[in-house]
Amino acid sequence: MVRNLVTQLEEAFLSLLLVAMTLLVFAEVVMRFGFNSGIHWAQELTLLMAAWFVLYGASYGVKVGAHIGVDVFVKLLPSKAHRFFTLLAIVLCLIYCGLFLYGSWIYLSKMKMIGIELEDMPVPKWLAMSILVFGFVMLIVRFLQLGWKVITREADGFHFSDEAEESMELAKELQGLESKDQPDPDANNKEGRS
Amino acid sequence: MTTAALFIILFACMFMGMPIAIALGLSSVATILMFSHDSLASVSLKLFEATSEHYTLLAIPFFILSSAFLSTGGVAKRLINFAVDSVGHIRGGLAMASVLACMLFAAVSGSSPATVAAIGTIVIAGMVRSGYPESFAAGVIANAGTLGILIPPSIVMLVYAAATEVSASRMFMAGFIPGLMMGGILMIAIYIAARIMKLPAEPFPGVAQLGKSFMVALGGLMLIIIVLGSIYGGIASPTEAAAVAAVYAYIVSVLGYRDIGPMKGIAWRNEGEGIAAAVARNLLQMLWALPKSIRHPEVRKVILDASKVSLMLLFIIANAMLFAHVLTTERIPHQIAETIVHWGLPAWGFLIVVNILLLIAGNFMEPSAILLIMAPILFPIAMKLGIDPIHLGIIMVVNMEIGMLTPPVGLNLFVTAGITGKNMIWVIKACLPWLCLLLMFLMLITYIPQISLFLPEYIDQLKGY
Amino acid sequence: APIEIKFSHVVAENTPKGQMATKFAKLVAERLPGKVEVKVFPSSQLFGDNKVLEAMLLGDVQMAAPALSKFQKYTDSLQLFDLPFLFKDMAAVERFQSGPVGQEMLTSLESKGLVGLGYLHNGMKQLSASNPIKVPADVSGKKFRIMTSDVLQAQFEAVDAVPLKKPFSEVFTLLQTKAIDGQENTWSNIYSKKFYEVQPYITESNHGVLDYMVVTSAEFWNSLDDDVRAELKKALDESIAYGNKIAAQKAEDDKQAIIDSKRSEVIEMSPAERAQWVTAMKPVWKQFAGAIGQDLIDAAEASNQ
Ligand code: NA
Ligand code: NA
Repeated sequence: MVRNLVTQLEEAFLSLLLVAMTLLVFAEVVMRFGFNSGIHWAQELTLLMAAWFVLYGASYGVKVGAHIGVDVFVKLLPSKAHRFFTLLAIVLCLIYCGLFLYGSWIYLSKMKMIGIELEDMPVPKWLAMSILVFGFVMLIVRFLQLGWKVITREADGFHFSDEAEESMELAKELQGLESKDQPDPDANNKEGRS
Repeated sequence: MTTAALFIILFACMFMGMPIAIALGLSSVATILMFSHDSLASVSLKLFEATSEHYTLLAIPFFILSSAFLSTGGVAKRLINFAVDSVGHIRGGLAMASVLACMLFAAVSGSSPATVAAIGTIVIAGMVRSGYPESFAAGVIANAGTLGILIPPSIVMLVYAAATEVSASRMFMAGFIPGLMMGGILMIAIYIAARIMKLPAEPFPGVAQLGKSFMVALGGLMLIIIVLGSIYGGIASPTEAAAVAAVYAYIVSVLGYRDIGPMKGIAWRNEGEGIAAAVARNLLQMLWALPKSIRHPEVRKVILDASKVSLMLLFIIANAMLFAHVLTTERIPHQIAETIVHWGLPAWGFLIVVNILLLIAGNFMEPSAILLIMAPILFPIAMKLGIDPIHLGIIMVVNMEIGMLTPPVGLNLFVTAGITGKNMIWVIKACLPWLCLLLMFLMLITYIPQISLFLPEYIDQLKGY
Repeated sequence: APIEIKFSHVVAENTPKGQMATKFAKLVAERLPGKVEVKVFPSSQLFGDNKVLEAMLLGDVQMAAPALSKFQKYTDSLQLFDLPFLFKDMAAVERFQSGPVGQEMLTSLESKGLVGLGYLHNGMKQLSASNPIKVPADVSGKKFRIMTSDVLQAQFEAVDAVPLKKPFSEVFTLLQTKAIDGQENTWSNIYSKKFYEVQPYITESNHGVLDYMVVTSAEFWNSLDDDVRAELKKALDESIAYGNKIAAQKAEDDKQAIIDSKRSEVIEMSPAERAQWVTAMKPVWKQFAGAIGQDLIDAAEASNQ
């Protein structure tokens, strides 16, 4: 239940950021050509949303297996060795997160201390950048979860996103359409008639 | 010493199966900690800079979003209908039409495997029914599908532009002629094979039907006109053009074609409905569809899928920038360049080395990862040898196309195996003759820079620079 | 081991700023051998202009020279230099900066942990556009690219133009495709960034100044021995003087090179036309007088004498 809600919130948050970035840049073009004006905070906000999108998204990507990697070699190994290297890789990922979390904490503390604001929006800079710390904390949580799954044999690796597999979804959708279309030979030209 | 540490850690992490983004980031941080005085805080600052100071990079998520809306089965079908109506009546026409359909789909999608899946699913079965050998059909599609990253808009080109700070719009223009050329080469080869193998032709459907299928396909194809037109017509920068493209793609797929989203199944004109009534009803329904899209599961899935791909790519890019930062401050490409110049290796010799390196890398890795690791190393060397940055970019993209067809990691091979239900060996054999054509094409692209440079330079000339 | 000074800047080595930094590294190598070593990182190799001050506060960069507009979130007073038509020429700018008030302003960043060490010139700003500009009415409704700066935004709004913030990397394309009508910059930037190739008209407006401030972090600067600090300041002053001389010469040369290229027509402003601009833009002074300080504005104006 709770897990489901968290997933929905995460997905809504990331989708919202992507759509908002797109619409904000689109609005800038419309303003410039339609109304001969600009949005003076648009650029700063768009770039900030991009940072939140990537730094938060990294942990969501681990959760749903959206990252890519080279797993052809570990997959050739016997399953025990495979598990060992996967766990080692997760430990190294956690070290990566730890180093960045530590660095981000110092960086943010310094920014909070000097207390400057963003260029175009009245928001303290450290607050706008707090995703650095939050993002790496979430990344650690996701790697710990993944590590636990590997230990309990629920998972055997990072489950990298597979562009080929995703494209196959498209193929399946089309095969579905094809078989439905068979009885109606004119179905391909629906738009043609309208 | 520094160079060795950087690359050993990178490859060890990568082959252990770590996400490439983190392998890049960890090897960079480790190298910095071991060999320089930079603080972890400043490395974090660098990462934040990489995610928040590169406006041009935003073109990547925007194009991924537009491609997600338009890479649907419905769009593929419309493009195939138009392609069959236009070249199907030539001998070997169905195969040529498949190539044309791949080229057209490539022009709305930034991805090659998506092109193979979308076009291949329909046309391979169709070709087999019309009497083509299945291996012939599969080989043609797997190869023509690689055009997805050469014909603009192309995600791989944007990644190259991000890694080297070359203009993305010039890269797009540069890919145009090579893309048409490769499509042309494939079609000529098909025509020759069709004469030898006595392959069939389709009946010509008539000019009226051709015009009709063209108009229907145009909705999707307008995307490339909007993208290239708005960049070169002075409306927008590449990033802005990408945002416009994403909004357009939503409008066409949800409100126009109605393949997905809240208007799915709603006809433009009902039986016996007057034109004025239909216009009014459609307008109202479209307005109502805008807020309904927010909650519609299909629209949300498209956006979420685009988000996943985008955040994966942008996270790799951010870490790759850290990696490139270590390369520059340690002057690693500079040292390699000096060694190469010292050997007296000429530009053409260097390009052979580049091609071999990229072809090997293409066996194991995906295009964007290869580009992000190799471009920062190769680019400064190429500059020193007087190779045009745009030309180098197109060479790299064509190499990436070939990499999609080489085992063990070859995305187009996987998809082709998936849609035909055959094993990998069969698919590899089917692709082989066409792969040779692609290698020949790579030689042409490598040693005739004008193929890539003609269009961007011509456009500059038109504008009087 | 010698004390390491990382000097990070964002331009090429052959520009006035680049040459100033190289000169400083050379002087320090001669005068403080084994004690201090200056490493110059050009072309944003280390950090871009937006992040370099933060990196300095973290102790990872010791010196940088960002444009004065980049300090607007660190102190209000340096916005003075963005005010339009405040200085009549570079000589006035120089008089003000080397005078007591200008030198006092170098300390305005202290509360944020930064120390100004000197001003480095780029030059007076000119207006370039796709249409000829003579009087304020010519820019009404036109879109101009500006650096992020509240004063510059107000300056263009005062003449009914539309200021747009766009990253420097996209400016050329946007000008080329006429998505933006014009921009303001110094002769040397207009020349080196090839803006004159895509902007058929450049008005010699000298309406503002684009200078840099060489800064260091207070923590680093105060940690130095007195004699080393004094020697460094002396070497820096000499390097800045050297860089300023090159900048002045370069502004002349680049202006001539643009005229010779015939790609762009250089328009001169008559005193009457100039007066119209001053009338239109002067309200901006009042708008920012509270933040900057009227006394600073008066002192700057006095340097025109
Ligand atoms: Na494409
Ligand atoms: Na491959």
